[in-house]
Amino acid sequence: MKQIVGVADMKVSNDPKESIITYSLGSCIGLVIFDPVARVGGMLHYMLPESSIDKGKAKQRPYMFADSGIPRLFKAAYKLGAVKQRMKIYAAGGAEILDQKGFFNIGKRNYMALKKMFFKNNVMINKQDVGGNVNRTVRIEIATGDIYVKTSGSKEVKI
Amino acid sequence: MTTLQNLMKEIKKLKPIPAVANQLLTVVDNPDSSMEDIANVIQYDPAITASVLKTCNSAFFGLKNPAESIKDAVNMLGTDQVIELVLLKSGAKALSGSQKGYGMEGGDMWKYSVSSAVIAKQVAVKLSLKNKNTIFTSALVKDIGKIILEVHVSDSSKKIKDLVENKGFSFGEAEKKVLGIDHAELGAMIAKMWKFSPRMIKIIRNHHLADEKMIKDKEIAAVYLADCICMMMGQGVGSDGLSYRFKAQAMKQLGFSANDVSMIIAEFGINMQEVEELLNIV
Repeated sequence: MKQIVGVADMKVSNDPKESIITYSLGSCIGLVIFDPVARVGGMLHYMLPESSIDKGKAKQRPYMFADSGIPRLFKAAYKLGAVKQRMKIYAAGGAEILDQKGFFNIGKRNYMALKKMFFKNNVMINKQDVGGNVNRTVRIEIATGDIYVKTSGSKEVKI
Repeated sequence: MTTLQNLMKEIKKLKPIPAVANQLLTVVDNPDSSMEDIANVIQYDPAITASVLKTCNSAFFGLKNPAESIKDAVNMLGTDQVIELVLLKSGAKALSGSQKGYGMEGGDMWKYSVSSAVIAKQVAVKLSLKNKNTIFTSALVKDIGKIILEVHVSDSSKKIKDLVENKGFSFGEAEKKVLGIDHAELGAMIAKMWKFSPRMIKIIRNHHLADEKMIKDKEIAAVYLADCICMMMGQGVGSDGLSYRFKAQAMKQLGFSANDVSMIIAEFGINMQEVEELLNIV
């Protein structure tokens, strides 16, 4: 079974028959978490760093923003038995258009929002594949915690 | 290099976008046109009419009584909705194939095109631009050049990839360098042969703002911004990825701040479900 995480969406699972996938991350970030002991995995696909730009939309679609989506991803995994200290973390996406600098660089701002939140909460990213000018599709297998990434036009690789 | 004559031959083989789209745009962008004028233009194309009515009567719109004519549909769903359906249906056939040369599977380009069109309309509404339907349609069909160029891009993929990955070229610049033409220029050629309005041809040709002077044209800048946002969102993007140039100057021209761009993205995030449904029914 394949659980698909749409844009501004989140899924968690502890079913070893399942994998979770999100397609075509551009400047958005795909955040993948996995507890290898509890065998609980989760994935969030957020579009923007801060919900403060539109509180109403954040209420409607909390997974759209880093600051409202990330805590919800972790909490959903805890509910299935995951423990913060055991969590392996992978981040992908945050791509940018050529010459996209400063405040207009949504990809970089999305990544910085993640780093900032993790720094405050003492969480480390184990692996990442962020930035650049490519699209990424990310998949995790719950049975093993193996993560695969595919950039468009290339083959899927295990990371 | 791809010779111009060869490309012209290939364009002639394409099945053009139905003429009703062009006629409709002429009518809708004229402020003196009535609802009846609009219905009359659409009815002129029986295939599109039948298809629009079928969609209007689908569960998606949940009409109590079926629409039996375009006039009914306009009365029940509003002029804007019907115009949008006609424009989407006109573009669907040409844009829904796969473009392997750009690493796009079947449906990818269509998804990208519809998303761009929806975002372009959001930008146009925010800026109160006139000609919203022309902007919508231009954004929808702006990548039409890829349909022909994809085979040539595929044949020269190594050279193009090298220029983009190692030499600092944008994907469009690499197309131009290797093939002698980029997909925006080719798209404009197709649009001209299909007798699109000069305005649309100009927007299609300049949708990546290769010619920076075009930044001053707000309609071009709006379609350009919509394209950038769509690239960032990644839906239906091919192997050219985000390898195009971002021009902060265009944001200035439109009076857009980074927050405005974020707001448009957030709004699209909400509209996306609707886009998915539109993709399914059209």
